[in-house]
Amino acid sequence: MTALAALTERMILTTLRDDLPFAILAPIGNFLIFNLALRNLIDTGQMSYPQYVLPVVIIQVIFLGALITVDRAARDQLSEFGVRLRTLPLSAMTPLTARMLYCLLRGAVALVASIAVGYAFGFRMTGGLLCAAAFAVLALTFTLALSLAADAVGTGIAGAQIGRDGTASQLLLVPQMLLVMLSTGMAPVTSFPDWLHPFVQYQPVSQVTEALRGFANGHLEVGNLLISLAWCLGLLAVLGPIAVRMQRRTR
Amino acid sequence: MIELDGVAKTFDRTVCALQDVSFSVSAGSVCAVLGHNGAGKTTTIKILATLLRPTSGKAIVAGYDVVQQPAQVRASIGITGQLAALDEELTGRENLVLFSRLRGMRRKDAQRRADALIDEFDMSHAADRRVANYSVGMQRRIDIAAALVIPPKVLFLDEPTTGLDPRSRRAVWDTVSSLSAQGVTVLLTTQYLEEADVLSDSIVVIDHGRVIARGTADDLKHRVGFSYCTVSPVNPSDLSEIFAVVAHLEGAEADYEANTVSVLAPNGVATLSEVFRRVDQLGVELADISLRKPSLDEAFLHLTGSTTT
Repeated sequence: MTALAALTERMILTTLRDDLPFAILAPIGNFLIFNLALRNLIDTGQMSYPQYVLPVVIIQVIFLGALITVDRAARDQLSEFGVRLRTLPLSAMTPLTARMLYCLLRGAVALVASIAVGYAFGFRMTGGLLCAAAFAVLALTFTLALSLAADAVGTGIAGAQIGRDGTASQLLLVPQMLLVMLSTGMAPVTSFPDWLHPFVQYQPVSQVTEALRGFANGHLEVGNLLISLAWCLGLLAVLGPIAVRMQRRTR
Repeated sequence: MIELDGVAKTFDRTVCALQDVSFSVSAGSVCAVLGHNGAGKTTTIKILATLLRPTSGKAIVAGYDVVQQPAQVRASIGITGQLAALDEELTGRENLVLFSRLRGMRRKDAQRRADALIDEFDMSHAADRRVANYSVGMQRRIDIAAALVIPPKVLFLDEPTTGLDPRSRRAVWDTVSSLSAQGVTVLLTTQYLEEADVLSDSIVVIDHGRVIARGTADDLKHRVGFSYCTVSPVNPSDLSEIFAVVAHLEGAEADYEANTVSVLAPNGVATLSEVFRRVDQLGVELADISLRKPSLDEAFLHLTGSTTT
């Protein structure tokens, strides 16, 4: 336990300082751009656009954080410090757990920053305390799932040229953008061509943003909640063991 | 304390880094693994430190098999690599506290241990500066200290003095000697014959992934030859005449490009004076006559008994 605390502390001390500006500015920047560019173009019915778009801003920022995690996992894997960790009598889980705790902390900072900027533009949590808590838990669960994926990818590519360059995140930006753009996070499903509806409707970003919107309003569709949870828990169940395996494989 | 039996390591099925490496190091002694870059020194240490699995063979460290019982091996060893394995963003003291806590110490105990190590390594003037601002020698010292937060049974030092100035090198040598005096078994790698000679109780020479010689420094020196006596005439045309009068001596060799004749000097100055006497009788004018230690290359030539390296 003391080893886990020490490693987590180390990440907070040395890494959060670099990440903090990004964790705060990314949600503000993304929210302002989405809101200014799209609020008059996209019809979200009764709901104000800030109320509609904030969840996808949060998801977008979680994605961007995960991209940083990819490069960092690759670098940690290659660094002499990382090599020495593998000669210590530590469980393979300990460094991974420390990195995940750190990702959750950074995610929480980004979440608070997102909600703060949202509030300034009219976003409101009207569902009560329980719904607000569920909102945070869902966002952080999604953060954990993506961070595990990012960690596994980063550790896996560490031996390859792209891992040494630290540029994997730039390639992964493409699928990330596609998932966010082709979701109901920024615009209702009716604004997409018919043949895309099944994908747009059921992909994880759409389902999770929809559920976050539900928690913010206090009106949640059971079907949507179940699909979101299935996505989050499914990703955790698949990615968790892969991330742990990646740690073991390199030992 | 350390035992290797037929250890081999092949990368990607084709690149053979180690072949049939066997040697042992007794408890409390210092063993130097001597070899050129790429000879397999680092691979050997990585296998012993559980960072690499041997392709075949068996390796035992502190009584534990490196493949079967890696956790027990890790609990028994300390290691420093060729590059400092520290968090450069943290100070030297913070690094030592961190590594102490990674070995399971509570924060207070870890701080006390860090203080003790800082004293022991005479680093109090720099302990609270970030490691990124340290000189290479200071980084190396903190790096070694970090491997000692819990006194290991076996300490691996991979080229501990490469890139250090003579004073820092001397400091590392002192550290190794005092650790050995405390009963720590040390395995270090080096490219320098002199370093192996000063520090170690036994030397293993490896080349192209094979052990080509084992023994004490004295054994090896005897096999390598103590030193060379080299003669250089003012006039290069005298070289063959000089070679003729010393040709019967052991290891006589004429190098026309360098304009030198060398012979092995097992009796040191006595050999030198004999060579001088013979050359003097020729009445040849000399530019230089000197004794010099064999280079690592010459040692390898002797040990491998070939001229292909």
